[in-house]
Amino acid sequence: MRLARYIALRIALVVPVLLGVIVLTFLLVRVLPGDPVQAFVGPNTTADDVEAIRQRLGLDAPLWQQFLDYLGGIFVGDFGTSIQTGVPVSTELAFRLAPTLELVFLGVGVAVIAAIVFGIISALRVNSPIDHVSRVTSLVGTAMPEFWLGLILIVIGYQQLGWFPGPSGRIGRGLSPTPITGAEAVDALLTANWPALGSALLYLVLPVLTIAVGVTASLLRSVRSAAIDIRAAAPWSTAQAHGISGRPLVTGYLLRGTVSRIPTLAALVLGNVLGGVVLVEYVFSWQGMGQWLLRGLLYRDYPVVQAGVVIIALVYAVAYLVADVIHAALDPRVRL
Amino acid sequence: MVSVGPVGVNRRLPRSQPQRASRGFGAVMIWTGAGLVAIVLLASLFAPLLTTWGPVEIDSTAIRQAPSAVHWLGTDANGMDVFSRLLYAGRVDLGVAVVSVAIAVVIGSVIGAVSGYVGGALDAVVMRLLEILQAFPTFILALAVAALLGPGIVNLTIVVAIVSIPSYARLVRAEVRTVRELAYVDAARTSGLAGARVLLRHVIPNSLTPVRIVAPLNVGWAMLALAGLSFLGLGVPVPQPEWGAMISQGTSDIVAGRLWTSVPPGLALVVCVLGFSLLGEGLQERETRRRTR
Repeated sequence: MRLARYIALRIALVVPVLLGVIVLTFLLVRVLPGDPVQAFVGPNTTADDVEAIRQRLGLDAPLWQQFLDYLGGIFVGDFGTSIQTGVPVSTELAFRLAPTLELVFLGVGVAVIAAIVFGIISALRVNSPIDHVSRVTSLVGTAMPEFWLGLILIVIGYQQLGWFPGPSGRIGRGLSPTPITGAEAVDALLTANWPALGSALLYLVLPVLTIAVGVTASLLRSVRSAAIDIRAAAPWSTAQAHGISGRPLVTGYLLRGTVSRIPTLAALVLGNVLGGVVLVEYVFSWQGMGQWLLRGLLYRDYPVVQAGVVIIALVYAVAYLVADVIHAALDPRVRL
Repeated sequence: MVSVGPVGVNRRLPRSQPQRASRGFGAVMIWTGAGLVAIVLLASLFAPLLTTWGPVEIDSTAIRQAPSAVHWLGTDANGMDVFSRLLYAGRVDLGVAVVSVAIAVVIGSVIGAVSGYVGGALDAVVMRLLEILQAFPTFILALAVAALLGPGIVNLTIVVAIVSIPSYARLVRAEVRTVRELAYVDAARTSGLAGARVLLRHVIPNSLTPVRIVAPLNVGWAMLALAGLSFLGLGVPVPQPEWGAMISQGTSDIVAGRLWTSVPPGLALVVCVLGFSLLGEGLQERETRRRTR
């Protein structure tokens, strides 16, 4: 009951922020220089044609009316129609969202596990050579531009070793599973299509690794300092004084205490990854949200940009909410 | 600016072994970081002396040529010298990153300080606006503003500055809200100083510690962001040398096995960003020790 009330309260707090995002995005795309209709029509179109298209798209209506139409549409899942392709934005979105989320969640998931393992090892041997090496390695990891790392991984994993497929598409030719979610690996798993699953996973390795390296590096620093804090606190020395040592001490005190801080950290980096994922998608020709949004921005496709930005902000907000709930469940000191 | 280098903090206290080791490593990080940044800075400043080709000079006899005695790091698809472009690009990347962070620090600190000091309705409005801005993943916001302003060095600087402002504003606001309750601020106020003067002379200078630590780390981030924007074609226009744009232009080369066009600019970015990260991390460690003393 308490939990339900807490979640309701959090949602109530998120709503005004999302509304703000919706308003801001709406205004931002409209102050972009360039005209969506001009970006779309050919050179032989007359001014009358342009005016007709503008009218059909509703772009001749006053700004407030355009906004109200747009806002009303969102509540019934209608984000309008793409100016460039003429396809409803929600249809395009359905194809674009899952592949990106697949990439982002896998990347962050792998990174969380790696960061916990290396962060705790590092914290158990503070200021030892292992600790220094892991800290410097993680700094190098955060210093690496992901688009460049992606290219290097393609050279190593695809060109030199030949272990992984090249940067084109998300699954081998002719292997596509029946689309359910749009994320190939998930669809293959759901339809028990094992050859497709194998192929989809191979295609995922390099881009997921590209994301995971930077994320691991930045999470590792937080995990390490969280673990060091725990080791410096009274419960740790009390446990040691009572003769607890070895595995119970590490898993029961250090791991448990550190893990409860992970969800919030993971949600934070998830937002960064969602923002930067366009670079990774670009390098691996991954047809996801990021590339879709970028194209929308370049061609002034208002509905696409609006929907893309609002959905990404929504995913970010939901991730934060989920993280807070998990944190509350893991940390008995948090009272909802 | 913060003085960089090992300082004699902690001298009066008896030190335990791990503390001393940690202090040594902090100093190592600060010096290594400063060293890496200095190398990149000097190489880009003295680029005209270190290179034999201009950064946009075309050698039509050498297109996509491997490294040689004439072109030390080879040439790109236009026949431009990669080594020369690499050094000149440092001016753009370092310059844009440092200037944009400086702008963000100044504007962000002023917004945060005024909001936190005045409080009330103004503070509430500013905070809600910042929350909305921060609900956008940063790079998405950068993409949108970059598309809005169009490519170019000045615009790129503005983009990176704008997206960095909210975090500084929040950082300074939090600190100001603590500082403004302190006795010396009260004393300044009751002794008849005007609000603006108290804010400028007493509150702001004492609220900048967290900013000093975050700023170097943020310069590294700014550099990655601006290179990313250029990589996507939203930053520095061709043929101006910039590391992200160079990596982007070399994408087809790298797939064809010509590694010299894309690998060096990426390494330059890593070295430079790592330098700023080490600097920031080292300063943070020093500050933590100073506070726990």
